[in-house]
Amino acid sequence: MIKMWENTISKFAKKTLFSIFITSLIIIIVTPLYFLISLSFLSSREAYQFPLPLVPAISSEFKLEKGEKGYMLSIYEKGDREYQNMIDTKDMEKMSRYMRLQLSVDVSIEKLENYISKLDQQNEVYFKSYKGLLHNYKTFFAITRDAVPALIRSLQVAGLTILISLSIGGMAGYAFARYIFIGKNALKVSVLFVRVFPAVAIAMPMVIILASIGFYDKPVGLSLVYSVGTIALTIWVTASIFLGIPVELEEAAQIFGATKLRTFLTITVPLALPGLAACSMYAFIGAWNETASAIILTQFNPTFAVVVYQSVLGAVDQVNLAAAGGILMALPMVLFTLFIRKYINQMWGGVTA
Amino acid sequence: MNTINLSDLKKNRNWTPYFLIAPTVIYYIFFWLNPVITSIYSSFKGVDGSFTLQNYITVFTTTSFGEAFWNTTFIAGISIVIEFFVALALALLINKKFKGSAIFLFIAMIPMAIPAVGVGAIWKTGLTAHGWMNSLLYYLGFLAKGEKLFFLSGTKFSILWLIIIIDTWQVVPSMMIILLAGLQNLSKEAKEAGYIFGGNGLTVLRQITIPMLKPTIITAVILRLISAIQIWLIVVMLFGFDRIPLLVERVIYYKEELSRLDNSYQIASTYAVITSVIVTIAAVVYLKVSGAFDMGKKEVM
Repeated sequence: MIKMWENTISKFAKKTLFSIFITSLIIIIVTPLYFLISLSFLSSREAYQFPLPLVPAISSEFKLEKGEKGYMLSIYEKGDREYQNMIDTKDMEKMSRYMRLQLSVDVSIEKLENYISKLDQQNEVYFKSYKGLLHNYKTFFAITRDAVPALIRSLQVAGLTILISLSIGGMAGYAFARYIFIGKNALKVSVLFVRVFPAVAIAMPMVIILASIGFYDKPVGLSLVYSVGTIALTIWVTASIFLGIPVELEEAAQIFGATKLRTFLTITVPLALPGLAACSMYAFIGAWNETASAIILTQFNPTFAVVVYQSVLGAVDQVNLAAAGGILMALPMVLFTLFIRKYINQMWGGVTA
Repeated sequence: MNTINLSDLKKNRNWTPYFLIAPTVIYYIFFWLNPVITSIYSSFKGVDGSFTLQNYITVFTTTSFGEAFWNTTFIAGISIVIEFFVALALALLINKKFKGSAIFLFIAMIPMAIPAVGVGAIWKTGLTAHGWMNSLLYYLGFLAKGEKLFFLSGTKFSILWLIIIIDTWQVVPSMMIILLAGLQNLSKEAKEAGYIFGGNGLTVLRQITIPMLKPTIITAVILRLISAIQIWLIVVMLFGFDRIPLLVERVIYYKEELSRLDNSYQIASTYAVITSVIVTIAAVVYLKVSGAFDMGKKEVM
């Protein structure tokens, strides 16, 4: 009887320990991400505070009264439970701009003047205003030189990289899976070897090579360089996928009169789709994230990664803007991963089930 | 995996495979071999264009090569060991399947989807004196009001450890996925047999699971090894150039930051060549020690 109790208790203890362990792991993974997201919604004033607010405020309460220089604007501080003086000015345009830049609150000049006019009858005017949560994101695009074209260029580069590495690498992968030929093993090992040489070291001479064919500072040029790494990976992954597709299926199609190319396109490719999706995800991640080569290979047409890199590097005092840049950088990747997840699930079978 | 028998071999002896691999070969000759040779060539080229060993002498003697080498070795060496064991432990854990393991896997994969620049933003905003890390420590009661930890301006030793921890946070998921995929492919029978013959969890793990997982482990570690030695972006984003010199950081530093020097391009190329030699040596040594060459003799894949 006692033994049984001991068993139950030890089982319970194990289970509890295990849950604590898993929970702490999740906390370790999620906390930095949470703060990056939270920071990207903070106003400049909030971002300067220490300690930083755990949750970004959605609205702010203000007080207007007559000040020494003109009118004094104060903001309600939840932590200290009192109003804190912000700005004292006669110039309503200045006040409106200050509120927009520092507090992420959009209050028009007319509205402010309306509040001021009430000050004739009363000493203080209170009002509440909602914070523009996407303010940092708008500012990021506004102050960062050509962020939108850079974003489009990055998508072009990623798309082209997927196209190049899937077509070239997929062909070789098929050859590795279906045929025996001279130098097969040597070639297969050597495609992995390409990653040993630092990507930046490839990029430097590529400036001249790309310039000679007119692709320098263009998305095509970048994708040609990025594909060096992804083709190798695509060959390995597609080879193992094509190996898993029975030759008999292809032969059957050919018996029914299909040409080799048609068999490949109508039988093999659809069956290999999950694997091809995984390859395109790797290619997308590689192309989207790559920063080092992009710094070297672009001059007037940087990719989005370069733009964000520069803004994070330069944003010593503007952590909220840096955070917004980081989120903008991560967002397409997360979306793409979600979009392509069901194919990946198929390939890994039980792994993500 | 279907084996290719002799009749297949005869039937397939045609030009098709060569036609299929031709684009890859041409591509690599043009866009890999070509720049690599150019890099090696410029590392031996003097400012006046003549052949010289001066660039290598310069790198080895007058610049911060030694520091870059030891920093890189320290970070790569320790981070690979930590990341491998953490990733293996997590993979074994998730492989067991518990309630909510699917959700856990999804969460564990998130850092993998965050770009290096995003990771830079996370820790840059976190580790500054008024960043979220100090705020969090304050809210949790570890720091008194007004007290702050200065993560980014610590001693060099503590900074190196900080880099290792950040790298671990990001890299473990991708390593775990590779190991997990390998674990899923292992036959259950072998493990069951181990238990039947009286082995406990630990012996089965050590004597059966790990040896069977060896090819996957080698793949995961070698991929990590190659990229760990080439670490630079996160370090530069947090500490700027020249604070913690690293091998690849030196390449970019000379190419971008010191581009006004006469020989900056050559020095950058020299660093690139030296880095790839170091990566190659490390990879070959690892493969040799782990016995991958003996396995590879059978057939690749």
